[in-house]
Amino acid sequence: MTQTTSSQAESRVMVQNRFSNVLQWIAVPAGTVVLIVAGSLLSPKFLTMSNATNVLINMSISGIIVVGMTFVFITRGMADLSVPATAAIGGILALGLGPALGTLPAALVGILAATAAGCVNGLLIGYARVNPVITTLAVGTIVLGTAQAFVGGVIVYGQDPQIKEFLTSRLFGVVPVIVLVFAAFAVAGHLLLSRTVLGRWSYAVGSNPDAAQASAVPVRRTKAAAFALTGGLAGLSGVLLGLTLQTARPAIGTGYEFNAITAVVVGGVSLLGGSGSVPRAMAGLLFVQVLTNIMVLQGVPTEPQGLAKGLLIAGAVALDVWLRNRGGAK
Amino acid sequence: MNALRKIGDSSWFVELVRVRVLVILLATVVVASVTVQGFMDPGTIGLSLDRMSTIGLIAVGLTVLLIAGQLDLSGGAVLALAGIVTISLQASLGPGVAAAVGVLVGVVTGSLNGLLVVVLKINSLVATLASMLMVRAICHWATDSHPISGKDPFFGLFVSTALIGPLTFRTVLFGIAILLLWVWLSRTVSGRNLYAVGSNAVSATASGVRSNLYLFGGFVFASVMAAVAGTVQSLAVNTGSPAFGQTIVMTTIAAVVIGGTRLEGGRGSALGTLGGLLTIAFLVTAMEYQNVPAYVQDIVTGAILLLLIILDSAVSGKNHNLLTIAALKRRLGRNQTPPEGITQ
Amino acid sequence: MSDTESSRVGNPVVLRMDGISKSFPGIRALITVDLEVRAGQVHAIVGENGAGKSTLMRILNGVYQPDEGKIELDGVVVRLTSPIEAKKHGIAMVYQELNLVPDLTVAENICLGATPAIGGFVRRGEQRAEAERVLSQLDAGVNPDDVVGTLSVSQQQIVEIAKAYRSQPRIVVLDEPTSSLSEHEVQAMFRLVRRLRDKGAAVIYISHRLREVLEIADQVTVLRDGRMIESRPIAGITTADMIRLMVGRELTDIFPKREVEIGDPVLKVSGLSRAGAFHDVEFEVRSGEILGMAGLVGAGRTEVARAIFGLDRSDSGTVTLDGQERTIQSPAEAVRTGIAYVPEDRKRDGLVQQMSIRDNITLAILPSLASAGWIRAGEQQRLAVEKATAMTVNPPVVDRNVDTLSGGNQQKVVLAKWLATKPRVLILDEPTRGVDVGAKSDIHHIIGDFVAQGTAVILISSELPEVIAVSDRILVLHEGAISAVLPRGSSEQDVMRAATGEVEQ
Repeated sequence: MTQTTSSQAESRVMVQNRFSNVLQWIAVPAGTVVLIVAGSLLSPKFLTMSNATNVLINMSISGIIVVGMTFVFITRGMADLSVPATAAIGGILALGLGPALGTLPAALVGILAATAAGCVNGLLIGYARVNPVITTLAVGTIVLGTAQAFVGGVIVYGQDPQIKEFLTSRLFGVVPVIVLVFAAFAVAGHLLLSRTVLGRWSYAVGSNPDAAQASAVPVRRTKAAAFALTGGLAGLSGVLLGLTLQTARPAIGTGYEFNAITAVVVGGVSLLGGSGSVPRAMAGLLFVQVLTNIMVLQGVPTEPQGLAKGLLIAGAVALDVWLRNRGGAK
Repeated sequence: MNALRKIGDSSWFVELVRVRVLVILLATVVVASVTVQGFMDPGTIGLSLDRMSTIGLIAVGLTVLLIAGQLDLSGGAVLALAGIVTISLQASLGPGVAAAVGVLVGVVTGSLNGLLVVVLKINSLVATLASMLMVRAICHWATDSHPISGKDPFFGLFVSTALIGPLTFRTVLFGIAILLLWVWLSRTVSGRNLYAVGSNAVSATASGVRSNLYLFGGFVFASVMAAVAGTVQSLAVNTGSPAFGQTIVMTTIAAVVIGGTRLEGGRGSALGTLGGLLTIAFLVTAMEYQNVPAYVQDIVTGAILLLLIILDSAVSGKNHNLLTIAALKRRLGRNQTPPEGITQ
Repeated sequence: MSDTESSRVGNPVVLRMDGISKSFPGIRALITVDLEVRAGQVHAIVGENGAGKSTLMRILNGVYQPDEGKIELDGVVVRLTSPIEAKKHGIAMVYQELNLVPDLTVAENICLGATPAIGGFVRRGEQRAEAERVLSQLDAGVNPDDVVGTLSVSQQQIVEIAKAYRSQPRIVVLDEPTSSLSEHEVQAMFRLVRRLRDKGAAVIYISHRLREVLEIADQVTVLRDGRMIESRPIAGITTADMIRLMVGRELTDIFPKREVEIGDPVLKVSGLSRAGAFHDVEFEVRSGEILGMAGLVGAGRTEVARAIFGLDRSDSGTVTLDGQERTIQSPAEAVRTGIAYVPEDRKRDGLVQQMSIRDNITLAILPSLASAGWIRAGEQQRLAVEKATAMTVNPPVVDRNVDTLSGGNQQKVVLAKWLATKPRVLILDEPTRGVDVGAKSDIHHIIGDFVAQGTAVILISSELPEVIAVSDRILVLHEGAISAVLPRGSSEQDVMRAATGEVEQ
């Protein structure tokens, strides 16, 4: 086939590409800036330090899970719906075993249990190639049931008020410790994805599993790792939530999977895999949190917020699909 | 996985898996009747079936949608909303009309889903996730997050009273629905075409089947069935609550999948769904009679589901999980790209 | 040629494609192609991969619109704007990827889209009768009540053709109909094709299997590089002629051969078999040697290569490297052992399109560029630039995405990736397919560099001049088994004869 460059056609395609790329990058941060401006106009309480810290604290728990969900999306693992369960088991074990083992060891056990569940997900999805939606739903149900069995159907109360103090205390009087923990994991997640072998493998597997396989990339292991990681991270956030509230019940993780998916999708990480990053997911998370915050300050009751979130997801994904088709970025 | 595949290739095993619905159902019935006293009493069975019927109605809708290769996570939210509408409008419209409006809610939500997936080409998982959030939000907003009671507590009694033998109105309604589904899927043109759409929507369209219409219709139908389930449920307890239907989607998917319907589309049957539903119903009843706590029931259901999926994977082997994403990519459109390497 | 055959040449012209041109960004796929197809004829279209056959057929099927030129059916100019339009005009396409619904029966598949019904309900009796009617017209041995998913591939193809035939098409296009069939099944397919022809349809037959084309076609058109080279009756033409027309380039040093001293055997393969793909494959490759692997499409060359590389499994056989027997069950193990494989399908298996040139080049050796998982970015960058320059990738800006490169440059990136693994054995599967002349020459210079360093090279290629020009020995495969091992200096005829199975083992 002769390959003379039809330069006009080619340059047209390249301009389209650049335009959509720029749009994709700018959209969410620009939107957030707009929101911040709007928020400060709508309410005097918005731009205060205490409000900002509140937003950050709320972001932190979700944020840790979002890191994991980003990995899942990028490796084309679709979604991890077992997050509420793994978060719950983390929190419950951390508080329930606290008196016997001490706070920190108990927390570790909680995280380990959650990671084990994540590994089960990983094995089934990565190696046995079972559908991720069903697998994570089923495993989640089993784990949640186990959590409830462990707890005997009551609320677990923590016995360590000091750790609560610690987590909610502010470093330098400004930043709550819990936010620092989140920031540390967000940075670690970003570095993992962008600078390590596993990160490169994840992008390759999500973008083109056949080429990755033919290039000696351990495809199954990489896919499994994403789910194991998410399980552990969800466990960690459950632990943090439990320690901060000093109570834990099986329903503690409800809704976090949808929050994470919303953030990731709004941030522009594609469901089809192979593209996106932790910073983008964080941008999406920030956007959603700021939006929620504005609505709360305006006295909008909780559930129309769900309406907004739903609209956001739909809008973000539709935009992504549209941009992909226009820019020819396939 | 190689060992598993070897077992999976042996023919007796394949046959066993093929009739697994029957096998599991029988196993469940046997275990249940042995461990639970009075299990086989018509009264017990009638109760079992009545409770199963709510899930059953949703499962009928979901079966259609899954055969078409789509997912719908919004069923539980639609159930709640339909119930709320039914109850809250009783005073102004009268219970009968209010119930009808409740069912119409399904048309609206189903159309929304159809719009998102078919027109905007959003993946059905994400789209129905979004609509689920929105509908649930509307539920809370409309009721201020409180359950509401109806004006006429006696109207809805007929739902759970025995109608034919031990079978309640609700069970009969479900029975009719599943019968109609069976007839439609096996005997009508549109029913058979549905399999084509689920198998490969693009080539179905090329054969003259209007795939987009089927997909849109599938979403509307699934939502309407969820609305019917919700309306009936709320009438039965004379309450509408934004908390209804929280976990119902998971259970319904489990039943349908146990019944042999694949998530990837192109396969499924009314009988299979019935088998899956009965299995879950009897299992749950048996466990309740043994005072097994709810969470253990969840564990058992989840474990059975998982086991079946793994078995399915081992038996059908290659490309069984040609991921929904690959199909999504195909659906995302045929742009004009150079045909390098497609045909040699 | 009998009287009936010669009279076919005078049959009425059903389809005329006049001056068809089509371009895509960066590629001119078709350049003023003319095609004339007559009723009651089997008209074969042959050409290398990328010659334009599939583009031409897609235009005929309404998937693409031509930039220039017109299409006439029975003398009337038509615009085919979609596959449904094409179907209405009596054009039926049967693709390689089957479009059947596995869970429905044969009868239901055949009648899909036009099912006999009353009030929405299927008239099963009529549906079955209708399917039987079509099947018997084609003399096909398929049971209408069987579920399609349980049939063999050849039976499914028959169903697919029956489905196309039901709408009484004037033109039936068959795209590589025999590529997955056994010898016995091919004859059954031929019977079907002849039935179609005898019923008056014009059959367009696209195939790589030139020997089959000789057997089944009445007329043959050769495409090359987007142009129609020649169209003539099949009488008197040989496969060698067709090949010459398909390839037809001046061979002046496109394929430079580096003279290198050939050393000891590096790779030994023996008894390699996999049911349905290849059996008893045995050969060895020496250091510095280029072992060409020739054969028809579907002969099993890629399958053998993938099995050696651990991408697909094999039922039995041994692979020995440097005298040591190795079990290779994954590409990662193969790379560790020192085997590299440049895949046939560059887009699918060769490159990750969404990643940069640098990431693609270093993908197979990432662990060696990292400490405890952390990639040493500076080293990675340096290595990528070094390899890209060595491969004359143009431009060697490794931060750009691979999808910004031309086909030839992309192939160089793939080669760079495998060069980076420092292989002992390099298997190349159609390395210069779809690549422009300049890049072809570059790639062969690069291969020369490899052998100069003592690498053992296996070169799979369907381009005969290429195989003959550079190979030290040529392994020819036919239907999954080795049919000949030819020395350097063999002719194209020698190779083709072995490839079509006309040589005794």
